[in-house]
Amino acid sequence: MKMTENHETEKIQGKNDKNNSSDANYIIDFTTSSAISRVSIKFLALYIPILWLSGLAISIYLYEYFIRLNFVKLERWIPAILYLPIALICMYFLFIFTALFFSKLFLILINLIHRPREGIFKAQMGDPDFEFWALRIEIKKLVVWLMRNCPFPWMDFIAFKWFGVDIDSSSHLQDSWTDIEFIKFGRRVMVGQAAVVMTSMVVGNYLIIKKVIFNDYALVGGVTAIAPGTVFGADTVLGAASITMPNQVLEPGWIYAGIPARKFRPNTVERRDIIAQVDVDEGTKYDSEHEVNIDKDKQDLLKTKNNSKGE
Amino acid sequence: MKVGPFTSLVLVKKRDLIYHIFLIWISIIPVALEYWVYWQLLWDYERPLHFYIFLPLLGFVMYLTAVFTAMVFAKIILIFVNFIHKPKEGVFLRDPSDKDYRYWGLRNVIKQWPFWLTHRFPFPFLDNLAFKLFGVKTKFSNSLFEGWVDTEFMEFGKNVVIGQGSIIQSTIIVGNLLIIRKTTFDDNVRIGSHCLVMPGSHIGKNCILNSWSATVVGQVLEDGWIYLGGPAQKFKKNVFFEEDIKDKIKLRVDNLEELSQTYDSQYDKWNRKKIKKEKKEEEKRRIMQGL
Repeated sequence: MKMTENHETEKIQGKNDKNNSSDANYIIDFTTSSAISRVSIKFLALYIPILWLSGLAISIYLYEYFIRLNFVKLERWIPAILYLPIALICMYFLFIFTALFFSKLFLILINLIHRPREGIFKAQMGDPDFEFWALRIEIKKLVVWLMRNCPFPWMDFIAFKWFGVDIDSSSHLQDSWTDIEFIKFGRRVMVGQAAVVMTSMVVGNYLIIKKVIFNDYALVGGVTAIAPGTVFGADTVLGAASITMPNQVLEPGWIYAGIPARKFRPNTVERRDIIAQVDVDEGTKYDSEHEVNIDKDKQDLLKTKNNSKGE
Repeated sequence: MKVGPFTSLVLVKKRDLIYHIFLIWISIIPVALEYWVYWQLLWDYERPLHFYIFLPLLGFVMYLTAVFTAMVFAKIILIFVNFIHKPKEGVFLRDPSDKDYRYWGLRNVIKQWPFWLTHRFPFPFLDNLAFKLFGVKTKFSNSLFEGWVDTEFMEFGKNVVIGQGSIIQSTIIVGNLLIIRKTTFDDNVRIGSHCLVMPGSHIGKNCILNSWSATVVGQVLEDGWIYLGGPAQKFKKNVFFEEDIKDKIKLRVDNLEELSQTYDSQYDKWNRKKIKKEKKEEEKRRIMQGL
């Protein structure tokens, strides 16, 4: 180990050397990324049948559309052109949903050959768990990518549902990077913009797959990174720009923030007419009045499921 | 998410539009030609089945043709541009009168369309091809798909993975200056999500960068360490490349408070220094008062 001139780093190195007693080294208390870990061109062969088959559906539609279009008569042209936008939208969705259908078929076949499971595996070509994990991701990616590029926000959860994720339409994850297996969503979960939800992580030569669970009303802030094995309790809020550690359990009804995520304050809803603000430069707190625009007869709606229980 | 290979458009002028229009035009011509040939070969009023069955495949081939034509013509223009003015590293003035700055903007404008096209494919394969063609040393096994990666003065080993939403730069604009420095990645590097790698960084072999880390300009990360913090500092040794440690790996955090303290010291280096300074000054003041 090369010692640097910087005194600060020397200190940290010294501290780490103490920690480097064999066991602590093997604990994964950091978070990296879950991007596609190895790109194999041979997997590309699966895309061509999926694209072809879903393209065939469009072809049939196009054929039907043009066969009804008489090229000679003018009055046939006008409805054809009027209906063209709807036809294009129909073709677009037809393509996506046929691709979804055939991807699902392939996925069922692949899952029959090798069942997906949680655990720690070797991240090498030749290890069946790793290879099938890469294959699964690759199949799902096409459809999810198609749906992500679609301007309708409710499209994602359809793909998630089809690929076997426990989710319903009340959850929102449009603007995040979310892995598509081993996730469980409760009701009304919101995943923020550019949040990365990882259920798999490749660390060195090893692949880690662990389930992530979001309970009801969990709220994940923007640009966060959620490590595999994280469990969100009901009504938990994770602040923006935070990271959770692998297997971290966030207790219900708390607001968490920081790297790594730690308790910030309880997530209780109470009526407040005065809201405290912090002047960051001066480091002082002051009160500022806000109008609270909630009608009196609707006050009890503020209480969420967890709070009403009195936990 | 709008991510992808990053081609900066800082210095866009209206006359640069001509490159875009030329490249878009020239890449659509062979596509149209392909469709015409296909039409001539397979269209039959009596039996239209063949035409419609192979149409989706043609669509795929047409997309590939557009990508390759755009790449080839962009490369030809780029060769001419680089012949007139060779791209080089260094610190330049951020002003249109500076030749290096001007040509840096021009190079990015030329690369914009082919990279946009290749990134429409949901898999990193075509992106890697475009990187290779435009002179970035990379391997097909790399996954540079989910982040913003600069498209020149980069070098990658094999099995490099760039995490979601990371920003990998080889050029940066600071105030009135444009800094261009080569960023290099060795084999088996894994960059976490939301990382920021600044120009001139060298990431050593088998390194892991934690999520939300950043490197400073010209920082060198040693081989085989896990780094975290902003600026990135050593956290612990990367032992995860050893054989047969499957049973030893543990997915747990024993003491979150201790870990939080370690993380805080790594992430908040500048603030800690400031606090230390203040404390020292306070002590001095006390001593002075005591005397």
